[in-house]
Amino acid sequence: MKPAAQSQAQSQPHAHARVPLGFLAPGREARLAEVGAVDTAQREQLAAYGLTVGCRLKVLQQKPMTVVLAEELELALEPGVAREVWVEPCP
Amino acid sequence: MNAAALSPAVLLVGHPNVGKSVLFHRLTGAYVNVSNYPGTTVEVSRAAARFDPAAQLLDTPGVLALPARSDDERVTLRALLEEDCRVLVQVGDAKHLRRSLALTALLAELGLPMVLALNMHDEAEARGVVLDVAALEAALGIPVVTTVATNGEGMAELGRAIAAARAPRPLLHYDAATETALATLTARIEATAQHPRLTARGLAVLYLGHDPEATHWLAAQPGKLHDTLATLRSAAEQQHGGSYAESLARERGEAAGLLASRCLQRSARATPLLAQRIGQWVVHPLWSLPILLAVLYAIYQFVGVFGASVLVGLLEKDLFEGVLNPAVTQWVEGSAPWPWLAALLVGEYGLWTMGMTYALALILPIVSTFFIAFGVLEDSGYLPRLSVIANRAFALIGLNGRAVLPMVLGLGCVTMATLTTRILHSPRERLITTFLLALAIPCSAQLGVVLGLLGGVGFSAVLAWSGAIVGVLLLSGWLAARLIPGRRIPLVTELPPMRLPIAGNVLKKTGGRLKWYLIEVIPLFLIGAFLMFLLEQAGILPAIVNAGEPLVSGWLGLPKEASAAFVMGFLRRDFGATGLFAMADALSPVQAVVGMVTITLFVPCIASLLMIVREQGLRIAAAMLAIVVPFAFLVGGLLRLMLSALGYGA
Repeated sequence: MKPAAQSQAQSQPHAHARVPLGFLAPGREARLAEVGAVDTAQREQLAAYGLTVGCRLKVLQQKPMTVVLAEELELALEPGVAREVWVEPCP
Repeated sequence: MNAAALSPAVLLVGHPNVGKSVLFHRLTGAYVNVSNYPGTTVEVSRAAARFDPAAQLLDTPGVLALPARSDDERVTLRALLEEDCRVLVQVGDAKHLRRSLALTALLAELGLPMVLALNMHDEAEARGVVLDVAALEAALGIPVVTTVATNGEGMAELGRAIAAARAPRPLLHYDAATETALATLTARIEATAQHPRLTARGLAVLYLGHDPEATHWLAAQPGKLHDTLATLRSAAEQQHGGSYAESLARERGEAAGLLASRCLQRSARATPLLAQRIGQWVVHPLWSLPILLAVLYAIYQFVGVFGASVLVGLLEKDLFEGVLNPAVTQWVEGSAPWPWLAALLVGEYGLWTMGMTYALALILPIVSTFFIAFGVLEDSGYLPRLSVIANRAFALIGLNGRAVLPMVLGLGCVTMATLTTRILHSPRERLITTFLLALAIPCSAQLGVVLGLLGGVGFSAVLAWSGAIVGVLLLSGWLAARLIPGRRIPLVTELPPMRLPIAGNVLKKTGGRLKWYLIEVIPLFLIGAFLMFLLEQAGILPAIVNAGEPLVSGWLGLPKEASAAFVMGFLRRDFGATGLFAMADALSPVQAVVGMVTITLFVPCIASLLMIVREQGLRIAAAMLAIVVPFAFLVGGLLRLMLSALGYGA
């Protein structure tokens, strides 16, 4: 399934900055822009951990899993999930 | 239990791993297991509160979010619905105010008098997080206290706050359409079924979010309330374009975010704390494996070498065989009026010479060292990080890294681990994990006996045994994942901070586990020894040994006397393994490995079988047993053929 963010990327002038969380280099900070094609339970789980649109996070590592720091909470996400979390990297 | 359930209760509720159980211990003096990973508590614990002996304090399993989704979260919601809750104490992590407040936003709807305890305040300060408690109190309308449960800071304030608990102000109004749906449901609930403590609106919020326990409670009310509610909810969802669960949670999250931003200041830290850096090293793509191997090697040295060789040597060889057993035997034989009584007490299958010697001299030192090592690991925060390292391997068997926790706990005690599968998110994951626990995870006692026997044969024997068990685990997990319908859930998990374990907590936990273990093990070992004695005296044991010969000697290639160990294994696998350990001198390397692999896979112990019946039902437990027993012998025989073909031990 094609994530909504991808189609928006083609139409919106600023959306080109959006990348999947799983592609962001360790050490980079970003703001969560959209959670793409994950099932409802997973979306609820991400929200419960505070990963909601607008939250700021920092990538700590990408392998073997994506590990991010979001407001002092360290979270590990499987690559399949990290690819569906769209973020706007902070400068 | 029922009488206790009737007295007014103070409920501790909060996210996983925020320190509810440590607070419970501080406020009651009663100790429940606490560890540094989410999911330590999967059942409700209760004890009289120190600040008010007439009230009881209840510790509940952590909830990632409400409405409840996993079985341990349902336990907490059931407590909210069924206990006579006078005050609700939400325990939150002071480092994660926004997240804590998102849960407060839901709990506030229930209308119970509340207190918010923001725990681990010291860790928040170390990370530059400063909280404006007065502003929080003003916004929520309830007492808010900061605590450090591990050193008792803030406990007196919390006791006073509980006495001053008030029903909170709502944190938010949902959007207009949601409020309309909620108002309709609330009015219907109010008109038909009054909950003795919770507001109708709170129940409506839970019901609209598809909470299974709230649904269950509403469905149990007389009349056709639930049918009407279901119709109303479907109609509202149709208008909304799907379930409300997500938008309700999102709106609560946004309200929590707004309040948190007003009540929290964060100063940027230039360098991460040492604990944060260690936490990152242990899941580092390059360093995680060497660190894991070093941890496993340290455990092997402490449990397998120090516990199973040095301590067992001192206790079994020097104390029991050298001093105690000859003295007891001499005294019994001299004073027992009948020869059968002497045989019952100090014979080959004697209550003292087999039952007590196995339990105290062989098992006790092994499980003691294991529980200490395990307690240190639990409190360090390393176990949740193992799920990151092992996630890919677990994907092969249809699980995700979250299942590492029950599996690793199974190395301590399979019975408790079976209960811990409640933290898993789907019935399918629970079923696969329970099956693998029953089949291929040896408990600490058995693991110690295995290491003790195979360590004596050589490290290659330990490797051959581990290889066979891991192979069986992967193969049977892979098969189970394909045969059991359903989908694998990808892993998203929090990694709690790495902490230096507190010696007092590790020792308390070890003491509690040893007590529980001995209470379970000694009677079973005595019963086992007694049954073996009866079978021997009645001439049945030799008949079983002869009947089992084609299987045990012909197929597995073991001495026919090993049949007795398998009979013992029906009571406890470690009892059976100890039976093989006792005949170690008569076994070749291949026989030792084959015997230990077969008995490791053999039936789960009676206690864990009962736990499987309780958690999964009789039918599934019986099916598991019917698979596990023949499978153990099949694998054992195939392994023997393989090892012989490879010329192992020749």
